[in-house]
Amino acid sequence: MMRGRASLIAGLALTALFVVPALVALVWTPWDVTAIDVAARLQGPSARHWLGTDPFGRDVLSLVMAGGGVSLGVAVAAIAAALALGVPIGLIASARRGWIDEGLMRGADVLFAFPGLLLAILLSAVFGPGAFDATLAIALFNVPVFARVTRGAALPVWSAPFVAAARLAGRSRLTIAMTHVLPNVIGPLIVQASIQGGMALLGEAGLSFAGLGVQPPAPSWGRMLADAQTLIGSAPRLAIVPGIAIVTAVAGLTLLGDALAAHLRIRRGRA
Amino acid sequence: MIRCLLFWLAVLGTFLGAPALAAPALRVGVQLEPPHLDPTQGAAAAIPEVSFNTIYEGLVRIATDGTLHPLLATGWSVSPDAQHYVFTLRHGVRFHDGSRFDAAAVAFSLARAAAPGSLNIHAETWREIAAIRVLAPDRVAIDLSRPDANLPTLLALSDAAMVPPDAAETLRTHPVGTGPFRFGAWQRGDALTLERNADYWGTPAHLARITFRFIADPNAAYGAIRSGAIDIYPSFPAPETLNLLAADPRLKLVIGPSEGEVILAINQRQGPLANVLVRRAICHAIDRRALIDGAMAGYGTPIGSHFPPQSPDYVDLTGVCAHDPALARRLLAEAGYPKGLILTLKLPPPSYARRTGELIAAQLQSVGIATTIRNLEWPTWLDEVFQRHHFDLTVISHAEPFDYDIYARHDYYFGYHSDAFDGLIAALRTTTDPAARHRLLGDMQRQIAQDAPNAFLFQYPALGVQDRRLSGIWVNSPTQVLDYHAARFSGAGTDAAQGKSAAGAWAAWIAAALALGGLIMTGRRLGARWLGGRIAVLAVTLFATSVVIFVLLQIAPGDPAVTMLGIDASPRAIAALHAEFGLDASPLTRFVRWIVGALRGDFGTSFTYRVPVGALIGERLAVTLPLAGLAAMVAIGIGVPAGTLAARRPGGVLDHLVGAFARLGMAIPDFWLGVLLVLLLALGTGWFPAGGFPGIEAGFGPVLHALALPVLALAIPQAAILARVTRGALADVLGRDFIRAARAKGLSDSAVLWRHALPNAAAPVLAVIGLQVPYLIAGSALVEQVFSLPGLGRLAIQAIGQRDLVTVQAVVLLMATATVIASFAVDVAQALIDPRVVRQERA
Repeated sequence: MMRGRASLIAGLALTALFVVPALVALVWTPWDVTAIDVAARLQGPSARHWLGTDPFGRDVLSLVMAGGGVSLGVAVAAIAAALALGVPIGLIASARRGWIDEGLMRGADVLFAFPGLLLAILLSAVFGPGAFDATLAIALFNVPVFARVTRGAALPVWSAPFVAAARLAGRSRLTIAMTHVLPNVIGPLIVQASIQGGMALLGEAGLSFAGLGVQPPAPSWGRMLADAQTLIGSAPRLAIVPGIAIVTAVAGLTLLGDALAAHLRIRRGRA
Repeated sequence: MIRCLLFWLAVLGTFLGAPALAAPALRVGVQLEPPHLDPTQGAAAAIPEVSFNTIYEGLVRIATDGTLHPLLATGWSVSPDAQHYVFTLRHGVRFHDGSRFDAAAVAFSLARAAAPGSLNIHAETWREIAAIRVLAPDRVAIDLSRPDANLPTLLALSDAAMVPPDAAETLRTHPVGTGPFRFGAWQRGDALTLERNADYWGTPAHLARITFRFIADPNAAYGAIRSGAIDIYPSFPAPETLNLLAADPRLKLVIGPSEGEVILAINQRQGPLANVLVRRAICHAIDRRALIDGAMAGYGTPIGSHFPPQSPDYVDLTGVCAHDPALARRLLAEAGYPKGLILTLKLPPPSYARRTGELIAAQLQSVGIATTIRNLEWPTWLDEVFQRHHFDLTVISHAEPFDYDIYARHDYYFGYHSDAFDGLIAALRTTTDPAARHRLLGDMQRQIAQDAPNAFLFQYPALGVQDRRLSGIWVNSPTQVLDYHAARFSGAGTDAAQGKSAAGAWAAWIAAALALGGLIMTGRRLGARWLGGRIAVLAVTLFATSVVIFVLLQIAPGDPAVTMLGIDASPRAIAALHAEFGLDASPLTRFVRWIVGALRGDFGTSFTYRVPVGALIGERLAVTLPLAGLAAMVAIGIGVPAGTLAARRPGGVLDHLVGAFARLGMAIPDFWLGVLLVLLLALGTGWFPAGGFPGIEAGFGPVLHALALPVLALAIPQAAILARVTRGALADVLGRDFIRAARAKGLSDSAVLWRHALPNAAAPVLAVIGLQVPYLIAGSALVEQVFSLPGLGRLAIQAIGQRDLVTVQAVVLLMATATVIASFAVDVAQALIDPRVVRQERA
């Protein structure tokens, strides 16, 4: 019990460590992230620049804060869209079985058959690279994940005795899906959404790393990593700082998701 | 101190790994792989970079200062009107295939370049040749239809290379020339090997062999030169690391000018940019020094016009448009834009362009010009900017030598039109007097500096990094090629001998037999109807996937032919290529052709490499399958046991440890992990190579050694996911009533785990493994990039970048097939473990 609360607090703290500066960066950063000052480039940490400056002389702390905001926006939008599409698909597939199930799940397969990066490149070829294309790619990539998880978690529920009882009682499949099945899949969904939320952050970083995601001058952790890659010998700080930011944010999200899942399970156990 | 020690350990490791050899071989790092090896039939600069002056030679050679020297021609004479030339040819020269180089070969080579359907980038220029007359075996006359004093210079360029009449059709894959090196082997996506031509007409080369390795990633390039896997990088992709490399006692920097002028190109067809005052304002807003410092780490020379500073005809015009933000603002106001402008800046992929563009955006901002930056892939850039002129500003390096005539082409992408300049070009064409030519070239530079059609930024530096012992390499060549003829190592030589052949097909047969056996067994267990239904669904899914792939690639903008031929291609050459690849057929026809071919195992011919796509994929699978297979094994081998251990005692110490590992592992981007592993275990200690792949036939040991770091980088995050999913599913099951019942009836912990818990927890774990397999096969592209492995994911990304749609289609279809089959396998496995699934479906 104590432990559950501790990990909830730790998760909240780590997530806040990532979310709060990101939100602050929407209105204020220590330095202007678009202000380029080549004369002040590649400075080490100092009182003026706590995390030093990048090759363009921009303040790394400001870039990390603002980059977090961009990453957060992309991840939240993508996961919300993916849940909104994926959960109904999975529920319907598990409820109807037969050809509807086949059709939906194979449709999800077709979608999922495009590996994330390839999907993003194809989309960026059509829409042009940018935050929209990255969000769309991550969302589409996650739809079949949520659909499969929902379906996989719902299938055993449909063969459970209480569902059979509800069906004998004449409840419609929709009612059963909403009252009996959905509550039983929420736990796995939260765990999966926390995993996918972290994956979405990683995905955004990867796409921006490959130049397919967030475009300059908008800051992004993935772009910072890509820019810093070749400087890792002379200024490893530039690659390590955004890397740690990603690890913190993703670890915070998964910890939070875990703690929430445990919390839900306990409540359900009590009910 | 420690870094120095670690570095020498790395060097020691490299030398211990390489056998000492008498015959010196040179390993050259190049950024771009050539699409094929015929410099007379394509514009990609990567073709002459590896093949010209090595395999092929021209009649004339250009020295660093632009002066002309005899090569295959010993001399020439020209009529006073610059319309009739006679070339005398060198005796005793033979092509690598033994055929004789003579006047007939010259006539053939030039006629082939000018022929209808020729893909030569200067085909229109060669068509100015009215007649080529063979006067004697060693004398040939060239008559032009209009004067051109520049002909000998054009003949020194790589697209005028001399080719043998009998072997001309296969030059793309089997190049034959007269040069000091002959073609050896080409491992696509990885390396090209040339061997010394012992029968060279001049002094044979010192080097026994040259291996060009294709490494574009700046980090991988840094790792390769630092670890000694590469002897020389003529054009190093990471200028920001040069100060570190300069401190390396084993290396030497050779930095010189190139023919590349980096410009901010301005679309001046209409709108505010048609106004010269606005263009001058943009130019005055730019601080060239800051661009060179910020984007090029201080390497590069400012330019004020479209001309390379090392040329004797160069005029320094950087003062015409000096950095002056106040003047820029005044000019904007004078032009009628006191409140500034909003412009679109479209940038191609190279890092110099992206970085320079970002700096320019900030500089323009400070004078009131707001810019929207759009980063484009090459095909999109060629399509939107170069072909359709949908842009305001772009940053690009013009690397062609003597390319000032683009300012006389009114349909060129930036749309400059000046009668005064056209007059100067016309005068230059008919002028042979050196002094008069010098004057004209100076006037041309002044004219474009005044008109500011583009903002001239800096000359792209040739950033060479090489082994200190290497000497004799001719840098700063105007023809974008190095002279490897005189190159030699002082002291001991190194060797990069790597015998390579295609991987055997036996593995595929064994896999097919195993799959078939498995299917039959499964069918007997689960019922043929259930299995048949699944297989039918599989087929329908694959068909739907192929339709989606095809349609998506139809929507993607960019003409593959333009991408292949480059920005100077003539419309006729583009049409010829369309016909060659059947791109002129209707989409439906092409779809049917593709599907029918794919069913027969024929995936078409790669646009880029001109070899069957099937063979290309086979080569890449020989890298990707071991990589993905090992990574999957490592991930499952770590993740499932770790998750199981954690779930047995929820809340225990192990659970906490595994939970921490899982969270950390899942939170680390695999490509970043790869970079860190390179830093720690490759550059730091030298225990593992920083990148590259020795070829599957090198044996188990070397392959494992090369793949160890990429496998770890790929597997650790996947292992973390598996550990988490396994733990979650198992802990869930272990808390259920039937487990309690099993425990209550006295079963041991392990019996409960194996008989009851694991089978019930298997479904989500299997589902996740099913999702991971395609990720490992396709999504490993970024890790492959970091370690410069010639794998399938990288092939797909490269192919999309090159608009090699045939290859993209095949690779994506293959990956989709792998995904669908993995999903099918998961279904079957779930059914085998839990037969309720099948029974329920029957019910």
